[in-house]
Amino acid sequence: MISSLALERPGRWRAGGIGLLLGLIAAPDVLLLWRALGDGAAGAVGWSFVQAIGRSACIAGIAGLVGLMCGLPLGVGTALYRFRGRALLLALVTLPLLVPSFLWGIGWSSLAAALGVPFLLSGLPACVLVFAAGLVVPLVLLTAYAATAALTGSQIDAARLAGGEREVVWQASRNASAPALLAAALGGVLTLVDPGPGQIFGEQTAASEILTSFAALYDFGLAGRQCAVLAGLVLVGAVPLALLATARFANDLLAKQTRRAVPVTHERLAVLMVGALAMLTTAATILPTLGLLLPMVAGGPELLTWTARDPFQMNHPELVLFGAAAEVGRTAANSFLYAGGAALVAMLLGIGAAVCVGRFPRLRAAWLAATLALFCVPPALPALGIVALATSSPAWADALLRSRLTVCVALGLRLVPVSSVIALRAWASTSPSWAMAAALHGVPLHRYAARVLVPVLRPAVGVGLLLVALLASADIATVLLVHPPGESSLPLAIVTVMANAPEMLVSALCLVYIAGAAAMLGGLWVLSGAAEA
Amino acid sequence: MTAEVAARRAPNQLALPADDSTKGLFAGCMARGMMRSLRTTLAVLLLVTARSSAAEDVVVYTSVDEIFARPIARGFEAESGITVRLVPDTEETKSTGLVNRLIAERARPQADVFWSGDPVRAAVLARKGVSAPYRSPQADGLPAQFSDPNGHWTGFSARARVLIYNRTLVPEGQTPTSVMDLLAPRFLGKACLANPLFGTTSMHAAALFAVLGDDKARALFESFTTNGGRMLSSNGEVRRRVANGECAVGITDTDDANVARLEGKPIGVVFPDADGIGTLVIPNCAVLIAGAPHPAAARRFVDYLLRPETERALAQSAAAQMPLRAGVPVPAGVVPLAQLRPMQVDYGVLAQLLETLSRGYLKDWVDRANSGR
Repeated sequence: MISSLALERPGRWRAGGIGLLLGLIAAPDVLLLWRALGDGAAGAVGWSFVQAIGRSACIAGIAGLVGLMCGLPLGVGTALYRFRGRALLLALVTLPLLVPSFLWGIGWSSLAAALGVPFLLSGLPACVLVFAAGLVVPLVLLTAYAATAALTGSQIDAARLAGGEREVVWQASRNASAPALLAAALGGVLTLVDPGPGQIFGEQTAASEILTSFAALYDFGLAGRQCAVLAGLVLVGAVPLALLATARFANDLLAKQTRRAVPVTHERLAVLMVGALAMLTTAATILPTLGLLLPMVAGGPELLTWTARDPFQMNHPELVLFGAAAEVGRTAANSFLYAGGAALVAMLLGIGAAVCVGRFPRLRAAWLAATLALFCVPPALPALGIVALATSSPAWADALLRSRLTVCVALGLRLVPVSSVIALRAWASTSPSWAMAAALHGVPLHRYAARVLVPVLRPAVGVGLLLVALLASADIATVLLVHPPGESSLPLAIVTVMANAPEMLVSALCLVYIAGAAAMLGGLWVLSGAAEA
Repeated sequence: MTAEVAARRAPNQLALPADDSTKGLFAGCMARGMMRSLRTTLAVLLLVTARSSAAEDVVVYTSVDEIFARPIARGFEAESGITVRLVPDTEETKSTGLVNRLIAERARPQADVFWSGDPVRAAVLARKGVSAPYRSPQADGLPAQFSDPNGHWTGFSARARVLIYNRTLVPEGQTPTSVMDLLAPRFLGKACLANPLFGTTSMHAAALFAVLGDDKARALFESFTTNGGRMLSSNGEVRRRVANGECAVGITDTDDANVARLEGKPIGVVFPDADGIGTLVIPNCAVLIAGAPHPAAARRFVDYLLRPETERALAQSAAAQMPLRAGVPVPAGVVPLAQLRPMQVDYGVLAQLLETLSRGYLKDWVDRANSGR
């Protein structure tokens, strides 16, 4: 029988476990990087890439700051207070995570053109707007929400007794600040590897440079070296950040603090929260969606008849929607599978990391710094690494390396940094005295885990699963390179169709996708609210 | 204490250890739960690892826009009974792209055929050893100048690089007729083209360098920038911005121009330099992948692509592609190849020239264009 205290004791197994997990996550990257660094022109990455890193760092920094300033208070407020429309607004605010950023970029660009002010949206400010509103703010908001929701009723009550609502908000914000800071850093790192908005708004970014190396020069070696340089720079920045965040990452609960906090109603704060979330929803979701849907609204009487054999008859918007729905039907199952599978893989590995790291600050800092550095590698590199591994493996391994499972694993490995922040936070906030009490009573580890740990970790794991699923849905680069032929996902189908499809069809596909995602998210939030009640 | 009482406890209370009388019951419940979980996990694993394997299928990677490629694939399926597993590509500025996947899978490919929208990608694959030579019997009648002399890729159904202009912004008599008109003062700040590091624009750039020479081509690009020309992310973006009036004139492909026309946008189309260097013609290319898993089906699909009927279908579709074969009827709105003055280029040489330019002048020009915003 394994004692419950096994998870609280130090031991070499922790470092070994962390090494194993990091090795697993880094393996696809290392496969190509090894080849790249062994290339003839070792060290050469191009002066334009060096310049682009500076611009990308600016975008990442500003977007991260905006994300932290907006996402932290909104996440804390949404977790603490109940107000009308909470579930719907939360679903709408997190919706942008589902959609590849360049679609939002196109939406903003179209809207600005329609309003006659295209000059307002270009260059660095436009990139910051798209990244902040569409990625970093929702990421920080969800993380702050999860951290605040993990507080116990007695903690909230104690703060309320000590200093009223102001004290509650202050203490909750302090509690959520470290994970929110890490989420902002993760969001900033994600902006480093996303070439979409830079391409649309004409900003030279590090991600655009790496994409050029891959897609224009077909030079894996150069792309690999650029990725290695970027990862190295992020690692240098990530270490102090991880050390700073680790110190305030989580406070252990007292053993008896197991009563869950329940959101309360506060009239004035409710108005404030609704207003703030509505503004964020408008900026992050409604306006760019309007831009994407303009062609559907603007489709006039000049629509021409397409050939009879063309499946995309464009006579009427309702036929376009029918065509879009058919495309959704073809790809919906895979979309859910890839998102859900990636979420499961990422959370399992994240929880594994949390178990190995335990409550040891150095291990926590090392894990966070390492995963931040790995996170900044563009998704194409590990995806191509997996392709290379599958190619060099025997045919019997295709079920593992060239199947839909491979897509789930590839996406999940990529998003482990996100899940591990949430898992580490949740694990660190459990009380060690529970394990001590269980050990005193002779409760074996498996029963302690099932009866105590799982219920406590469940809310945070739920948020983590949702967040990873959302981010995985938006990753088209990995799916394009790894998916088995004929098993595409809806976001990838939208991107492959949009090159020369009529604008109405692209708009219809976006509408169906966004509406379906919003309905799903709203349903999930409502269900989770009902479960809490 | 019975297991039922223990189960009714609030979840935040530690369970006391079961006594001997309930150990067996508890162990049984645990075992049944574990078996159920195991069965569910196995079922899910079977689902996700299952790979569809029709009686006979062919895997086709394509850089041709999916909206045009899919009807052709369905036609082949209906005629041959072979399932086509189509893998379309994104625009190059959106993701790394299928060519890199093909190169990475070279040793044990999943693809049988690569249907390329231009000869440059086909030439890259030939150079990297990804393609195998195949001379299809259906290639008879296709002009040899649009195919690889070694048989690694065969050209059919072409697009052309065209100038598009917004009819409400450009009056009659001032329409552009040459790529040089993009430098004209009347289009100051109103001309656009796609990023010349990617796609057909990169091929067009290489062609201009090959035909005009290094100095004149560089002068063209520098003057474009000086004249306030805008570099956009893709040909589709060029089409959108000219159609909505943000730009007055741009360079794009015939399929982009035709989609805008069918949508009723106010654009005009010009095949440039009919009296000068000519219009760049960009053929589709059928490429047989070396070591294809389904070689017989692959050859049948390549043969299907190269038939006159396929050229006619692509001409009649929204792609409005020009048949390379003489005598294939085209609908109104599609300019037959015989009526064009094609630019005289060697596509194999273009591919090599493009590699040099992409690492040199074009990269530098793009960097300056971006930083100039």
